[in-house]
Amino acid sequence: MMQKKAHVKQLAVWTAAAIMIFFAAEAVASVDTSTADEQPRADMITIDGMKTFGPLERASVEFLHDKHTETLKKDGKDCLACHIQDKTSGKLSIKFQRTEDKDRQTVMDTYHKGCISCHNELLSEGKSSGPVECAECHNDKTKATSNWQEIGMDHSLHYRHTKALDKKCETCHHEYDQTTKKLVYVKGEEGTCRYCHKEQTEDNRIAMRQAAHIDCVNCHRTRIAQNKSAGPVECAGCHDPKHQAAIEKIADVPRMEMKQPDTVFVKAQPADATDTEAIRMKQVPFDHKAHETYNDTCRACHHASMKGNLTGCTDCHTLKGEKEGDWVSLEEAMHRSKAGESCEGCHKEKQTAKECAGCHGSMVQTATKSPTYCNTCHLVPLVEKTEGETTPAAAETEPVTTETAADALAARVPTLETYPVEDIPETVTIKSLSETYQPVELPHRKIVLTLLKGIQGSKLAQYFHTQPGTLCQGCHHNSPAAVKPPKCESCHGKAFQNDQPYRPGLKAAYHQECMGCHKQMNIEKPASRDCVACHKKK
Amino acid sequence: MSISRRKFLGWMGAAGAATMVGKTATASTNKEFPGYPGSHGVLYDATRCVGCRRCEEGCNKVNELPAPDRPFEDLSVLDEKRRTDATHFTVVNEYKKTGGEAGPVFRKIQCNHCLEPACANVCFVKAFTKTETGAVVYNPNVCVGCRYCMIACPFEIPAYEYNEPLTPRVRKCTMCYPRIVKGQLPGCVEACPMEALTFGTREDLLKIARDRIENYPDRYIDHIYGEREMGGTSWLYISGVPFKEIGLREDLGTKPAPEFTLGALSGVPMVIGLWPVLLTGIYAINKRKEKIAAKEQSEAVTAAVDAANDDATQKLSASLEKAEKDKTSAIDKAVKKALEEAEKARAEEEAAKAQAEAPESAQAPEEDSEKDTPQEDA
Repeated sequence: MMQKKAHVKQLAVWTAAAIMIFFAAEAVASVDTSTADEQPRADMITIDGMKTFGPLERASVEFLHDKHTETLKKDGKDCLACHIQDKTSGKLSIKFQRTEDKDRQTVMDTYHKGCISCHNELLSEGKSSGPVECAECHNDKTKATSNWQEIGMDHSLHYRHTKALDKKCETCHHEYDQTTKKLVYVKGEEGTCRYCHKEQTEDNRIAMRQAAHIDCVNCHRTRIAQNKSAGPVECAGCHDPKHQAAIEKIADVPRMEMKQPDTVFVKAQPADATDTEAIRMKQVPFDHKAHETYNDTCRACHHASMKGNLTGCTDCHTLKGEKEGDWVSLEEAMHRSKAGESCEGCHKEKQTAKECAGCHGSMVQTATKSPTYCNTCHLVPLVEKTEGETTPAAAETEPVTTETAADALAARVPTLETYPVEDIPETVTIKSLSETYQPVELPHRKIVLTLLKGIQGSKLAQYFHTQPGTLCQGCHHNSPAAVKPPKCESCHGKAFQNDQPYRPGLKAAYHQECMGCHKQMNIEKPASRDCVACHKKK
Repeated sequence: MSISRRKFLGWMGAAGAATMVGKTATASTNKEFPGYPGSHGVLYDATRCVGCRRCEEGCNKVNELPAPDRPFEDLSVLDEKRRTDATHFTVVNEYKKTGGEAGPVFRKIQCNHCLEPACANVCFVKAFTKTETGAVVYNPNVCVGCRYCMIACPFEIPAYEYNEPLTPRVRKCTMCYPRIVKGQLPGCVEACPMEALTFGTREDLLKIARDRIENYPDRYIDHIYGEREMGGTSWLYISGVPFKEIGLREDLGTKPAPEFTLGALSGVPMVIGLWPVLLTGIYAINKRKEKIAAKEQSEAVTAAVDAANDDATQKLSASLEKAEKDKTSAIDKAVKKALEEAEKARAEEEAAKAQAEAPESAQAPEEDSEKDTPQEDA
């Protein structure tokens, strides 16, 4: 009897062990595959070309492009295995084994025959291969996470291309000639690809995605074949964030040769040339050359086109607004705070930088601007014409100014300093509220110097921080800038006063100011809830 | 003074119609209760709250609640979502921010002090009162412990003292009613180091909230939670993330709680006024129907009886006639037979005369008895 029991026990132990080993093996296997899949990829393409012929009957197919390129390369095959070459231009079609989507059946057959026959071939050769069953491709499972990232032609990359192509702008830039219905190159009319090539194909202008892949990849491929230096041809080469970061950046990019001015007056154009009264605001001298280095593309400001005369903006954005300018008036075009293309919109965006956000984040976003604020940019007054000067036609169309934009800009002096260091108190002891904790020692000078360091490299900040005390006003707000501004308790007292319901009490004023700034500037220490980090226990 | 039946029914009808007219008027004037003028409230600004739990501590202190299991400095309690209970009138919960800048967001939970509170509406002993200070207060002396208030509250705030065997009470935030009538701040508001809680009149708070949203459009969601929710609450919220993400229900609508039962309850006077009229009418109609039916029945019976009588008379006369006819034919037959027999007898007699003589008078009595019998049958 005992022996039998022992037998059963032994059997149970062995079974359990076997089960455990089985599951452990499974677990290891699953871990292995999952880690392999977790590597984010930039080459995930969704094959859903059948959408053009109506709703999809089966799930779209997730296709890893680089994985295929690699495998084919090992077999000595190249892009031509899947992409058809145009006889005349030598460019490859970006579509799989076809140049156009003829009809539903043909497109479907192209994929099914093309993919499955190749996979079968590899299988028969005993090599690792892709799926051959329907649901192996057509399923909702995701094979990997995508880290695909858009790439743009920034100044550095553009310069490297111009250099490599010996300034043959026509290699990429073209215009569409309506009469001959052909793409032609027009010197001096070069613009950003996106002026014509939009997100989706419109009329005969192919989508940006198609245009970029046809031109860029084909050129890179041809140059590689010619053993010349070339850009990437794999997806990851352009779209993987790691690869993007590795793209060589030229520090001092020479300026584009577009006959653009160094400095220019941004000024309104009256609808009627004789109506000089229409323009009353002072002109803005604009440092075009400097702004070229602040942005990665011309498109950042010239968002629709670069054709036309030198005034640029006023072609579409007139005083009252035109249809061409989407009814956005010149004033709005320059000041819309939400639009990145406008001066103020872009400058506002700069204020969200960590160094600036501490002060600017707590400022009222919709406050009315003071007249002195306007004068920071609107510097040069128009000269009023006297009776005798009205004769020349040129003088009527061009508002007369006494100085050039360059002079006006040179005359503007940025404020680089705040008060002398010895005038900035080193520490400030906050003790008026001390109850539970000891008074707080505020490292005042350290804070001021840190803020000052943050704006030191920025010309924009220096132009707008016009007085030595402007920086101080980040904390010492709502009172005139001064070496010794009023104390906090001068205004902040008891909370929730009937006549001042908007003004925080003293305790909250301190906490909001310090913690608000730390939060905006991403300063982790002292943590908001770590009371003793600032207040020592009594 | 005597009231005719017609007059009485007329009055009742008019009364019924009046209740209906009154109800229509209420609906058409878009009437709503905007709260007692000058009543107080608290504005909670989620962008200012740092989740320090000082409000919980302040609440505990001024309401003399039992000491918590873990000290208020212990921020690890924020790891789980908590609710208010009989010994915690307010709690702060931490929520992870979805997208955008990093860092958690917080929300303080307590009674929202609805302008038209559901708890007060359902309470049949009026234990809850919306006071003119804005606070919704509770009177334990009249409470019967039915806990309807706990079910009615859309914010799940009132809590019950389940461990109090003899005098269990419903407990919830009182907006520190005893303190605000003395001009003091609610405990939580006073304790908040960030003024994430602003105390003031509801009108002022709405202005302050709108002002903040307008001045910092990028910082706030353009909505004041509690301005309209459940008909409006005295406790208001503004936030930088959708209110749903800080645990506030967005499915409550703007109807005050009492309005959900208003329709059914406003029907009561109408039912009371109109039902006697309706029932009397139905009774009268039924009565009249019965009367008419009875009359019709008796008429029908009379007609049937008459018809039967006529029929019987006809039948009788017919049968009498027939009997008469039968009798006549029988007499005729008998007479004929007698005559034939008499003829035969006379022939035989004549024949016998020739041979022998036979008596004639014996035939006559036989003829009389045959004539009497059919008459007796009829």
